[in-house]
Amino acid sequence: MSTATVAPPAWALKVEGLGRIYGDPSPESVPGTGPESGTVISPATGAVVAAWDVGFEVAPGEALGIIGESGSGKSTVMRCIAGDEDATTGTINLRGVGDGTVDVRTLDPSARRGLRLHQLSAVYQDPAAGLNLDVTAGGNIADPLTAVGWRHYGRIRERAASLLRRVEVPLDRMDDLVRTFSGGMRQRVQIAKALANDPPVLLLDEPTTGLDASVAAGVLDLLRELLEETGVAAVVVSHDFAVIDLLTRRVLVMQHGRVVESGLTDQLLEDPQHPYSQQLVAAARG
Amino acid sequence: MTTLQPSAPPADLPAGSVLSVRGLRKDFTLHTIDGRVVEALHGVDLDVAPGEHVALAGTSGAGKSTLLRCVYRTYLAGGGHIWFRTAAGDLVDVAALPDATVADLRGHEIGYVSQFLKAQPRRSVLTTVASAGTARGMARDAAREAAAAALRQVGIAEHLWDMHATVLSGGQKQRVNIAAGTIAPPRLLLLDEPVSALDPANRSAVLDLIARLERTGTAVLSVFHDLDAIERLATRVVVLGGGRVLASGPPEQILRDSSLPLEVAR
Amino acid sequence: MNDQLTARLAGPPPQPGIFDELSKREIRRAMLSGIAIPGYQVPFGSREMPVARGWGSGGLQATLSLVGEDSRLKVIDQGEDAGVNASNLRRLVVSHVGCEEETDTRHADIIQSRHRIPEQPLRDGQVLVLQVPGAEPLAGIVRDMDEQRRMHAEADYAKMWVRLYEDVVHNGLITAAAGYPVLVEGRYIMTPSPIPRWDVPKLDRSEAITVLSAGREKRIFAVPPHTSVVPLTFEDRPFEVEHTPGAACRLCGSADTYIVQEPAADGRFTTWVCSDTDFCRRRRTGDAPAPAQPVQGETA
Repeated sequence: MSTATVAPPAWALKVEGLGRIYGDPSPESVPGTGPESGTVISPATGAVVAAWDVGFEVAPGEALGIIGESGSGKSTVMRCIAGDEDATTGTINLRGVGDGTVDVRTLDPSARRGLRLHQLSAVYQDPAAGLNLDVTAGGNIADPLTAVGWRHYGRIRERAASLLRRVEVPLDRMDDLVRTFSGGMRQRVQIAKALANDPPVLLLDEPTTGLDASVAAGVLDLLRELLEETGVAAVVVSHDFAVIDLLTRRVLVMQHGRVVESGLTDQLLEDPQHPYSQQLVAAARG
Repeated sequence: MTTLQPSAPPADLPAGSVLSVRGLRKDFTLHTIDGRVVEALHGVDLDVAPGEHVALAGTSGAGKSTLLRCVYRTYLAGGGHIWFRTAAGDLVDVAALPDATVADLRGHEIGYVSQFLKAQPRRSVLTTVASAGTARGMARDAAREAAAAALRQVGIAEHLWDMHATVLSGGQKQRVNIAAGTIAPPRLLLLDEPVSALDPANRSAVLDLIARLERTGTAVLSVFHDLDAIERLATRVVVLGGGRVLASGPPEQILRDSSLPLEVAR
Repeated sequence: MNDQLTARLAGPPPQPGIFDELSKREIRRAMLSGIAIPGYQVPFGSREMPVARGWGSGGLQATLSLVGEDSRLKVIDQGEDAGVNASNLRRLVVSHVGCEEETDTRHADIIQSRHRIPEQPLRDGQVLVLQVPGAEPLAGIVRDMDEQRRMHAEADYAKMWVRLYEDVVHNGLITAAAGYPVLVEGRYIMTPSPIPRWDVPKLDRSEAITVLSAGREKRIFAVPPHTSVVPLTFEDRPFEVEHTPGAACRLCGSADTYIVQEPAADGRFTTWVCSDTDFCRRRRTGDAPAPAQPVQGETA
């Protein structure tokens, strides 16, 4: 057994060969699906190949975008990384877990859930998915803090207040139930909660979709600042090129469960290669 | 997905060059318009040495901006090589590097200034310029001093420094942009019509700022829409036409050659 | 053949009565599991008892599984040996098993209770059986029972702490009174029976075994001797027990016991008596340790 010390990898998150099939997970389900076939449904087994052969690395301080229409598999990929569901195949490594030598898919469910405390956080499109609406803004942030052992009420409140201040939620709303908050404000609370334990990896799933344009712009500005300041490695899943353009440096384009193109974000916008990417960009340009 | 094949640099590249473009080709396949192919570059060779300012000239559609964008990797090269000598002395092919490596080079060694400022939201003018310096390794205080000097140089009044850069006028943004792009000059600076929207006085101030880059050893590759700027700044002019290099030489010689297809704007 | 084997396993023919030996054995096994994993809720097959579920059927089954003919049994209701429920339950067990009735905490082998833990510190060899109306501390926090089990299994108690946090935000303090949530041996969160906060510290590192049994929810859990039982609270919000400055038992004068209000002659709730009648009697007869220190605070 080799015990030689290996330098930790440059990436914070690495995904290789990730696949997620709903239904028959056997290899027969894969042929006949994907962009060339124009479908994610296996002609042989009827299984849904929601994502297949997805791979990428994200460095600390870097934001990677995944763009595609609904049903392209981008959110599936995010949920598989977050541990909300288990991939059918592939590996997911985090630098914070065994210096990147451990495929987190091999961890037991409890350890896998534990990653959400220190190693990665997710912000969902629907704040109700990431927050308890019947708990105060401060209480929602107290959740991840107490989960890692914070037991001092005053310090929990200080930390919650500083996070809420950072996401520009007025402190006089700290003790109000999140249910009474506007959509944009809820999203800010969700972001504050996700950042509570300074995770090295942050997953953002359509973080501004569903918000009014002006509200969305404010949340995007905030996210952009946070990504720059915190040095977090981020994966931004969105159908909206404006979001991807503002937040990310590199991007993957997904269609029918596959990555059809990847590149620097400005290159994808200015010189898309794949027909589907060109179609997306043309649509975004109106 | 495009596969990028790394290959070894040829032995005959000029030893001192920062940038050596070889056989660069670029065309655009427009899948949304029945797969129409638009040809842009047909094998361009070009070298830029430290301290040299190479201006691209040629008529509209000659491929000047396309070439700049290929070097910056905003466009993917369709063939050929873009050799860049890093600060560490390595020769790398920008056309074939992984995206993440290109992103790092952009942060530190290759700059691109266009006429459009892509300012961080809610960030003051001074911070916008200073953070461009800190991003390239300047100390915070030195960056603020240099930012202040650069802003004065391009005529951004001091009362604007605390405002968010996003609220400035187009001409002001352009000047902030050039100040940010030049405060800690990278090894290679790509200028894509950086003075196009400026009035004569401000334009002149910005050109002065660019002229000083020569002394810092920065290699500049530029596109200007007027020959006056080229004459004032360029150490060499490369004329493009039909996607190829038609001529290359000192500005006083090239700009007076009436046989060359140059944009007429003096 | 199988019938014979079952009969042999069942041991001697069951005494006529309310509880068969196999069931007692199952409950003893559940109690042993509970003792082995302090604070962990062990499911068991709760039987029909001649008392309604929710009226001490869980405690009764535990007691019936533990008592022998020579056991001395004390049953209290709200600290009182003479309460109607306590008397009925005690008589039921005594008539069924033939054990001895006991009211003096010191001499009891088994003490069944719901709302109180006796003031007299329990000793080695005693078993305190607490009747638990609601066994699941997470019940009011997450509804899904699978999720409750997962949270216990992974000691994922953040939502309990959020509940306490919200309590302090809305009320200025943790309002939980009866059945205050505790952490057992640093591992499982447990709800004791509805004892007052006053009694919670008595569970910590007790000499006796505490068995908690919920008949309706069919769960048994336990705290073995010398086990840490820590009330959940924030570091900067010390756990406080009930205390009424100046109040003392009108019978024995104690101010260091759990006292309850009783209607005064004029109908106003102004007088106080010990909840633990056995201890109060002993204080009055000089048969109980005197208060450890002078009563603090002045008379209201």
